Amino acid sequence: MAEQLLPPERPRHRRRPAPRPPRTPNDIYVNTKTDFQAQLCRCRRLLEDGNQKELRVHGLGLAIGRAINLALQLQASGPGPLLISANTSTVELTDDLEPEGGEDMEPGARNRNNSAIHIRVYRPQTE
Amino acid sequence: MSSAKEKKYAKRMRNQPSSVSLTPDIGDRPGQHGARGNVPPHRDSHPGSSGQHQRFSGQSRGGGRSGPGDAHLVPKYLTATMFAQARAAEINAMVKAVSVKTSNCLVFQSLPRHMRRRAMGHDIKRLPRRLREIAKKELEKSLQQKKEQSKAKCRKARRRHGNLLLEFNQRQRKNKWMETHIWHTKRFHVVKKWGYCLPDRPTMKCYRACYRAMTNHCLLEDLSYLCCLEMIGEEHNLLRSLSRLCSTDTGPSFAAVLCLSGRRQGSLVMYKADRYPEEALGPVTFIWKPKNLPEVPSGERQLWIWMHPAMKQDVLKELRQVCLCEETPDNAVCKPEPALASQQEEQRDVTKSATRKRKRRDQDGEKAVPVKKIVGDGTRDTVDPYKWTSKDGLITITDLTLEIVRYRLVGPLSHCVLADALRAAPLHELPSETGGCSSSVTELSAATWAKAVLGKQTIEDPGSGPHSWWKDFCRNPDNVNLHHQQESIFQLLQGLNSPAQVPPGTILGFTVGDPRLNLPRKRTKSTPNLENYEDGNKVRTLRMDGVPAECAQSLIWSCDIRTKATDEKISEQEINRLRSELLVPGSQLSLGDKESKIPVLLIQQPGKVTGTEHPGWASGWDICLPKGWGMAFWIPFVYQGARVGGLQQDLQRSQFMGSPYIPGDFPDSPAGAQSAKDTEMCLLNKYKRRPPAKRTNFIKHGILAPFRCPWEQLTMEWMARARTSTRSPAHTEGSTDQGDTKEPESEVAEAMQVVPSFKAETCLPLTSEGEQNTCTEVGKCEDLFSVVRDKKILWQLSECCSQSLRMSRGSRSSTPTSHDLASLFNPALRRLPRSLVWVRLSMLTKGSPELHALISIPTDQDLSQISKQKNFPGPQEPKHGDAFKKKILKLKKERKKEKAKKKESRVGEEGAVKPIPKEEVLQKDDLTFGLWPEPLPELTTHCDRVLIGFVTQGNFSLTAGCGEALGFVSLTGLTHMLSRQPTERKGLVLVRNPSSFQHRFARLFIDV
Repeated sequence: MAEQLLPPERPRHRRRPAPRPPRTPNDIYVNTKTDFQAQLCRCRRLLEDGNQKELRVHGLGLAIGRAINLALQLQASGPGPLLISANTSTVELTDDLEPEGGEDMEPGARNRNNSAIHIRVYRPQTE
Repeated sequence: MSSAKEKKYAKRMRNQPSSVSLTPDIGDRPGQHGARGNVPPHRDSHPGSSGQHQRFSGQSRGGGRSGPGDAHLVPKYLTATMFAQARAAEINAMVKAVSVKTSNCLVFQSLPRHMRRRAMGHDIKRLPRRLREIAKKELEKSLQQKKEQSKAKCRKARRRHGNLLLEFNQRQRKNKWMETHIWHTKRFHVVKKWGYCLPDRPTMKCYRACYRAMTNHCLLEDLSYLCCLEMIGEEHNLLRSLSRLCSTDTGPSFAAVLCLSGRRQGSLVMYKADRYPEEALGPVTFIWKPKNLPEVPSGERQLWIWMHPAMKQDVLKELRQVCLCEETPDNAVCKPEPALASQQEEQRDVTKSATRKRKRRDQDGEKAVPVKKIVGDGTRDTVDPYKWTSKDGLITITDLTLEIVRYRLVGPLSHCVLADALRAAPLHELPSETGGCSSSVTELSAATWAKAVLGKQTIEDPGSGPHSWWKDFCRNPDNVNLHHQQESIFQLLQGLNSPAQVPPGTILGFTVGDPRLNLPRKRTKSTPNLENYEDGNKVRTLRMDGVPAECAQSLIWSCDIRTKATDEKISEQEINRLRSELLVPGSQLSLGDKESKIPVLLIQQPGKVTGTEHPGWASGWDICLPKGWGMAFWIPFVYQGARVGGLQQDLQRSQFMGSPYIPGDFPDSPAGAQSAKDTEMCLLNKYKRRPPAKRTNFIKHGILAPFRCPWEQLTMEWMARARTSTRSPAHTEGSTDQGDTKEPESEVAEAMQVVPSFKAETCLPLTSEGEQNTCTEVGKCEDLFSVVRDKKILWQLSECCSQSLRMSRGSRSSTPTSHDLASLFNPALRRLPRSLVWVRLSMLTKGSPELHALISIPTDQDLSQISKQKNFPGPQEPKHGDAFKKKILKLKKERKKEKAKKKESRVGEEGAVKPIPKEEVLQKDDLTFGLWPEPLPELTTHCDRVLIGFVTQGNFSLTAGCGEALGFVSLTGLTHMLSRQPTERKGLVLVRNPSSFQHRFARLFIDV
């Protein structure tokens, strides 16, 4: 009975953190947990007070929508004109598979791909 | 003026001239003899006021107050002699008051600040002349006192290196020191625990800074206190005996493929032999020595088991029992040779004698005293490795405690710190003639490998210099290749942004050069180099497959080479001397072939692996070094920007990771029980130090055991409850099955169940003992409570608990109803009726849980209220009555009476009535104000809400941004709760701190 009710047995896995190059102050990695307003505020502060000429907003997987939203909101509400250019990429993620049952099994790892977006938000250059 | 002030004033005025009397007493009237006799010291009426002058001043001062009425007091004329005498008496009194020292302090302390000089207490001549006499007396007095407790040697002699080491050795007889001990004592609060002096926390404020270091930078910890046991034997023999100590239910065991190949570190919880679900010993990590070394004759393998010192004795005993070992007296096999090492050192000393004559003489002087030769940096004693061999001689167990230094680097920058601090060992230039006869060379090196494996003495090579082992190693081109491969992988690690990217528990062996040579001049912060991120393909394979098996090899496995590496260490002094002789000051010192080579082992720590949030948090690297090299590696790591933490940071990390802290969170192990006892004693003493009126009255709070977690009783009660419910299952089960509408009824039923059981238990005077007796009759498995570590059960439980979350996310999965839940866990419950589950609680709103907080089941009213009102803080616990308060007061009165009687009796006849008060003393110990006396009433129903467990670690979590707690709940209680809760509110519990009445809502997670 239990087997019917619980989701069918599939290999359990543990996610490893996504690889990313070391971040500089103007790299914003968007996640789905942090409050959206807080993220927006942070970006605005960087652009206005932090005197950053450009921000790079990164979103991975489920956070892509949020990253796009964030960039657009920035553009719409910013004091000056802001330009946006987006790039997409594929990020290779690694999962550790749990050894199930017998310990002779090799636990191993598996690769899977996920899409990511990198949005450059920058001020237009004044001639 | 208050009485205290008065007293103070009186004390101050003790030696002041209160009234100065003139010797010849003369009448009042100035007209008769000129002056007044008794001179009151009051200001308004100045004594012996002098004629007109006084009047004028009086007028000018007093103004309206001294009216025309005063005029008749003023004398019309004065007699000079009398007046002078009166003044003289006054002056005398004043001089006396000044010269007599009244206060308790030393003379030079009574001087005003501007007259003080440095070292006044030491040199009398620095004092003003008038005070010298007194100071002299004081000095003599203090000298006498000093003489009584004078020390045998002067400070200079005591601080001399050899004597200092002797003293250090003496001081660590009881509690051993790690190699970094002296460094830590200058910067940390050090505690004595588990037979070691361990750094607890830095003296500066750095709770958050250490957290930031763990998440963003690098935190360094010295884990050399962990004990390492080495087992050598044939693989199948080892596995056969070790398999009795663990179970595959809890995860991969010693025989897991990757661990067995030596590529990964494994971790598991050990149990007593063949006692799997109960009687845990504690968690261990283990490393197998990689087996694919060339030409190992037999299938002999080497295994290191690392464990916490608190449980070392238990594990060792069990291992010896499993392997059928007897303690053999011969410790000589693995013992480093102190005599040989000392000889070498002496020789070295002789060669450069001229400049260091005095020091050498000192050393010779020491030789007369039986000095233990200190191998390594000398901050600790050499521990003789103990050795046990099994009866059939197949397995050897060696205790390598303190033989290997282990540091832990935590945080994403730990790569960078390692890469910046360490360099690969330089290869030795080979003489040209050896290049030809390669076959013999390979044989030779293979032989050394084999010897290294067996841990036996190598035959001295003919041309053995200081680093002969490395020379031998370099002769084999395969080994050189391997070294280069290891080096390239070590460099490649910098291309990862976090240590969690490589497979968990990856092992990388390496041989490094002396890290003291490339020490930066100032403390720097190592930063990741962006250029290293280019090499995508290699990094990818590293992420996917980990370090290749052959790279896990390291020379540190061989006892022989470890000892040599320790002995051949160039002393700090020598390095500094060489540095000072450099032509260009501050340039890099290069020693060429003389540079020390140290075999090390790098072990990846996966960080947070349980749960879904923050994967890989607090991941890092462990580095193992041969002993004696501790400080030589420590300082470079610190200079590369690693922040250092102690035991508190360890606790902090395990808390944020949601992992059980060793040994406190293993209540079913003897070490855990011991640590619980220790904390209880500590907290109780702290509590008793407070005055009763300022203590929390835990009886009124309804907290039965504020300083410990009575797991025994909790599990026992839940087992009893489960039995009563199975006896009359029709009612409760039926009501819950039919739906949520009839929930109140089930509540009533539950209450009805509770009441009789409670009554029955209160009727019995010795409930727990009686219960235990019945348990032993029923079956052996019910003796002890245990912690569920079976992966399958935990997975199922965790899925049940997180159902409500998944529902809110929208993914529709089949949801088991309450009945199914019960049936799901029934087999487990029948097998382990008294089991606990490790849980993580996350507070829904505010509140930060504390140690020993209560975890209880919310009622339906609570759940409905929180669904109506989002910021409902939680129900309040009503105040409990304190029935013991009166008793305590009564006892106190009686005791007072007793005392009075005793006094009387003592006055009358001595020693007549003595045996009676002993009982009183016993009773007094039992009753403490604010605490329940020992036989506790029923735990689960004592408070308003039904109790299921306790918190063992609780704090505000900086990773989650809310209060988080870790603790255990009863498995029976948990299933009982889950089966009754509606799906959308599943996994909600109430948490209440021992010092508060407020229950707060928390969500329960089971991380696997």
